[in-house]
This record gives sequence, C-alpha cells and structure tokens, in this order.
Amino acid sequence: MKKKLNLAPALFVGPHLILFLVFVVIPTIYGIYASFTQWNLAGSPNWVGFANYKTILFDTDSTFHMQFFNGLKNTLLFVLFTVPPLIVLPLMIAVALSHKKVKGKTFIQSVLYVPGLISISAAALIFTLIFNKQLGVTSNVFGSTIAWATHQPYAWLTIVVLTIWGGIGGNMIIYRASISGVAEELYESAELDGAGPIRKFFSITLPSINFPLIYTFVMTTAGAFNVFGQPLMMTEGGPQQSTSVLMMYIRQLAFGTGESIAGMASAMAVLLGLVILVVSALQYYVMNRNAN
Amino acid sequence: MKRKLGALVTSFAVAATVLAGCGSSNANDPKTITFWTPLTGEDGAYMDNLVKEYNATNPEIKVKHVVTSDMYTKISTVLSSGKGVPDLTIIHADRVPGYVKQKQLEPMTAVMQAQPELKEANFLPQAWGAGNIDGTQYTVPLDIHSNVMYYNKDLLKKYGAESFLDDNNVTIDEILSLKGKLDEGDYVVNDALIGWVMLAQIQNLGGDIQKDGKPAVNTDVMRQAIEDVKKINDAGLMTPFGEDGYLMFQSGNVLFSTDGTWSSTAHASVENLNFGVTNVYSASPDKFTNRASSHMFAMFNSEQRTDEKEQGIAAFLEFIRSHSVEWAKAGQIPASKEVVESPEFKNYMQSFFTSNEEETKSLYIYTYEYYPYIAEAVDKYVGDLIRGNTPIDEGLQAMQKEVEDKIGESNGGAAADSGK
Repeated sequence: MKKKLNLAPALFVGPHLILFLVFVVIPTIYGIYASFTQWNLAGSPNWVGFANYKTILFDTDSTFHMQFFNGLKNTLLFVLFTVPPLIVLPLMIAVALSHKKVKGKTFIQSVLYVPGLISISAAALIFTLIFNKQLGVTSNVFGSTIAWATHQPYAWLTIVVLTIWGGIGGNMIIYRASISGVAEELYESAELDGAGPIRKFFSITLPSINFPLIYTFVMTTAGAFNVFGQPLMMTEGGPQQSTSVLMMYIRQLAFGTGESIAGMASAMAVLLGLVILVVSALQYYVMNRNAN
Repeated sequence: MKRKLGALVTSFAVAATVLAGCGSSNANDPKTITFWTPLTGEDGAYMDNLVKEYNATNPEIKVKHVVTSDMYTKISTVLSSGKGVPDLTIIHADRVPGYVKQKQLEPMTAVMQAQPELKEANFLPQAWGAGNIDGTQYTVPLDIHSNVMYYNKDLLKKYGAESFLDDNNVTIDEILSLKGKLDEGDYVVNDALIGWVMLAQIQNLGGDIQKDGKPAVNTDVMRQAIEDVKKINDAGLMTPFGEDGYLMFQSGNVLFSTDGTWSSTAHASVENLNFGVTNVYSASPDKFTNRASSHMFAMFNSEQRTDEKEQGIAAFLEFIRSHSVEWAKAGQIPASKEVVESPEFKNYMQSFFTSNEEETKSLYIYTYEYYPYIAEAVDKYVGDLIRGNTPIDEGLQAMQKEVEDKIGESNGGAAADSGK
C-alpha cells in the first residue's frame, strides 16, 4: 500500500526548525569551530587546534586564564546569590496567593510580574538612581552613606536586588498556574487527616508541581550563568573586577574597541556552555531521581 | 484538508518573507548614500539636522543617516557577508589603524580628487593626521572631541583659587595646595573620564604608550602619573570612589570636573551653575594635554559603491566641511579650520581649545595601532590604582600583560606562543 505523504506536520514544525537551524544550530557549530582558531572576525580564521583551550585552562600566566577563572568564579557567585531566591520567593508568593482569603490576587500578580517586562538596561538605570549616593532613596530616605557600586558586598547586593526584582514574576506565574492545577480534594482529605498548612505544602503542593519546579530551576540557573547586563550597568565589573562576570570578558575580547580576539572569546564561551550543560544535566538528574 | 494546507503554506510563506525582509537594505540604491553613525546620543539629532540641510540643497544623490547602535559589531557582520555595507560611516580615530591593517577601509583618494578643498591644510592637523596611515588618507575628520576640565567659577572664588587658571595650566601641586581648606562635602576634582586623564598625564610627563611599536604600559612615567593623581585622592580632594562626581560638579560641590567637550550642553542646562572650561590638570608645570579622539568619515570596502556615489560622498563631506558649525552645538570641536576660525564658532565654549596654537596642540589623539587594548586595560585598572585598592606594581604588570596577551592573540601568531 502506498503511504500518503503528510505535509502538515512538517509545515507546523518547519518554521521553528528553520529558525532553530539559522539562529541556534549553525551559529553554535560555527562558534565551536571558531574556538579552535585565531580569528579577528575580519580575515579568515587560522586553525590553532586546542591552543586556545590550553591557554585558558592551563597557562597560569596568561591574562585569558585569569579572566576566565575570575569571570567563572564571579558568574558562579551570581548563580549562587540569585537562583535560590528566584525559586523560593516566587514559590512562597504563589502559595500565599493561592490562599482563598487573599484579595486582589491579579493586582498583586501584575505588580510583581511587570518588572520582568522592563529591559535590563532600563531597570538598571532605575536602580543606579535608587542606589545613587546623592539622589538615591537609599541615602536620602534610609540614610545610607555607602557608595554601593564600588564597595563589596554592596556591589553584589545591588546586582542581586535588581535581578530578583526583575526575575521574580516569571517563575511566580508558572508556580501559580501549576498550583491552581492541583486537585482540591487532595487538600480537603489532608485536612480531614489533620494536616496543617506546612504539612500540606510539603506533602501535596511540592510533589504535585514537581515538573514545573525542575523546569524553572534548570532554566533559571542556565539564565543566571549567562548574566551580563546587570553587572555591566550597575558596577562595570568593579571594584577590582570582583563583579566582572565571564560574559563581560567574552564580550570585550570579541567586540571590544580593539581588533577582535574572537577565537579566544569563542573558546571561553564554549567552556561556559559546557559548564551550563553539566550543571543543568546534574540538576535535572538529581531532581528527577528524587521525584521518582 | 486542502484549505488547511493552503493556510499553512501561506503562513509558512509569510514567515519566510518576514525573515527574508530582515536582510533587505537600501544600500544598493544608486541614488542614496547610506550613512551609518554610532551617534546614539543627542549628537545624532545634530547630525540629522546637518544631513537634512544637505539634502535640502537638492544634491544629485541624497544622504540617508542611520543611527546605528552597536555599530562596530554590525560593521563586522556586514563586512564578512559583503552585503549591506554602508556607503559612508563615522568611526572613531582609535579604530582607524586596526581597520587599515585589516584592509577594510577604502582610501579617500577619489573623494579628495572630486573636492579639492578636502585637503590637509583645511583641517586641524591631528584630526587629519589620525586618518593618514603610511601616506594614504583613509578618513576625513568631522570633529575633535576631547577630555577637558570644567571649573565652577563661584567655588574658585570662594576658595581663592582663581589664580590657578592664570597660565591655563592647573597643576596637581596647585590642587594639593587646597588640602584642608575645603568645607565638608566639597572636593577639588572628580574622577570623570579618569582613564583619559591618566593618558594625558603620560604626555605631560614626556612619556608614551609605546616604544618601537611595542606597548609600554608598565613604565616609570605611568607609575609617576598614577602616583601623582593618587596624591589628590590621598589628600581627600577627589570625590570619593564610586560617587557620582559628575553630578556633584553640577550640584556645586566640586571645583573641577574632568569630563568631555560634549558635556557643556548638559552643564549649561543646570540652573545656577556658573562654569567655565580649561585644560585638564597636569602633573607638569610646563605642559598640558587634553586626551582627545575624533569622529571621522570613512568608507568601508564595498563593491556596491559606485563612482557616482563617491562623487556624492565627496560633495556631502565638502558641505560638512563648510557647514559643520551646527556640529558645535553638540559640544564638539569641528575639525574644519574654516569653521573653527569663523566668528560664529567663537560663541561656543569649546572654542577655547582652538583659540591659539598651544591650545590646539594640546588636543592629543593617540594613533598607536594597539591603543584600544591599552585604553581598555587602563580603564579596567586605573580607578582601583589611584584609590589605593590595588598595589601600583601589581596593577601595572597586569595591564602590561593584558595588552601583550591581546596583541599576541590578534597578530595571527600561534596562540600557544602567546602565553610563554
């Protein structure tokens, strides 16, 4: 029997596939290729094998070695500082909002969600003004005498506050939606068994929204590894490069004011990609195993 | 089923068209000069005015000004694909040696032949010279924009410091003489554009950023420059690290602000700020320098740029040469001698820097091939160095190493060698 060719699925998937190929797969492959070359973006790349990786990973005298490890350290710190609050806070808010007696749920939800729609640069401008020692709310209302951007730990604090302010809404919406999908009977029967609110949260809510939790955890972490705008705008990487994240070094190497050092930048980017891949896989594995 | 399929095909076609549309550009239109600039601030509006004025003269080929954010990245993209390369571009002087080395700029020879007034004698020498590599002219300058020092007239009077301005050279020693004399919350200088201030000190102290073509950052002169400026910080006369010194100048708490020519319009909009402009302070009583750059017209290699277009570009550049007093409104110093010598330009504050030969010479543009790497390293480290957060030796070594490593990578030598 002749099998009829069905074009419909291909046409549904097609546009996305083309975009995925053009904007993700091809650039990724080219980026990996570039990481094995010396390239100024203008001429043709010059194949150097693993030399870039060797320099970055093992040549302790090299600036690129210092930049990679300092950048990675600061990126990891950013992940540690921001990912837990970006999971826990939205979850707490979502649970609180799911309570029957809370009024104005949609309003609260909108207030928390709107910051996520504002671009990082605009948001960072607002926050640099908030933390500005002359004009800012922090000094004029709360009497702080600190120059936030150039002193640790305050420099990190400004970055973290901005990130949480902007990032809380997205995860909260996901948790709200999944919590509302949990069957009401489960809570009712738990109540009959004498379960309190905390017991209900850990024994019913959390296991029921297991998948959205894994999803947000993995995506938030991967997003946090790619941090760039917040430290660039709030602290310019200072003081003493203590908030210079890896993407800032990569960006300056590839698209700085001088001749581009795109090969080295690509190698750093590939290594960062590997770190994200490993961390995400681990997270997924650990959380999924616990869930089962 | 057929209808469904039709709808799908249509939506697919729409998506494809939209995508294809992304790549379209009118760079191939023979009657339009596509002109990209990185002027994303209010200076972009002044350039718009100039272009509008030019188009109003009904030239054969009109100019279309496209303010392009992140322009240099986009330039590298269009250059590698060879499509959509703008006919004319404004680039910064620091970029010229790099682009020329990569053979990406077309010389201005034909443009200069078409308009004989586009010649060295008609422009400020350092602006013209920054576009000349090994005897070939690659750019025509629009302006010089420089690091300068604004002063608060009222504060100078209050602290009896008006005499600092006598010889147009405010020295670091003069600044230090105010130690212990200021009210709480007042400061002598801020740290705006501090990287440029340091690069000026190197000239003032008779040094340079290169020796025989090799970068020279870790030098005695650089150390001296950092130590001298650090003295201002240590004496408590510089606005505290991380505070908005620019704003503190505008609010009347700082005597001197070392920002750019282009800030004059912003300062002028502040009520009750009685200010003037002079040279950036100097570590030497004998010399003053204002580290400058230049916006320059350049043509990137493009097969689509016809001879007629080059004629059109020449006509436009000649128009700019004689009409760029409009550009002075953006706070810049036009590079055209005709404009800076005109009585109209004298109304602008920045005309101070072309008022005599010594002043004009003080506008210093670095033309060393690897200047951008040096500027990046200086900007990264110098704030912490003058504040005493990083030991000077350590900082100097790190800066020198960073520049050398970057040069090693960009030179096309084996990457493995660069770390040795």
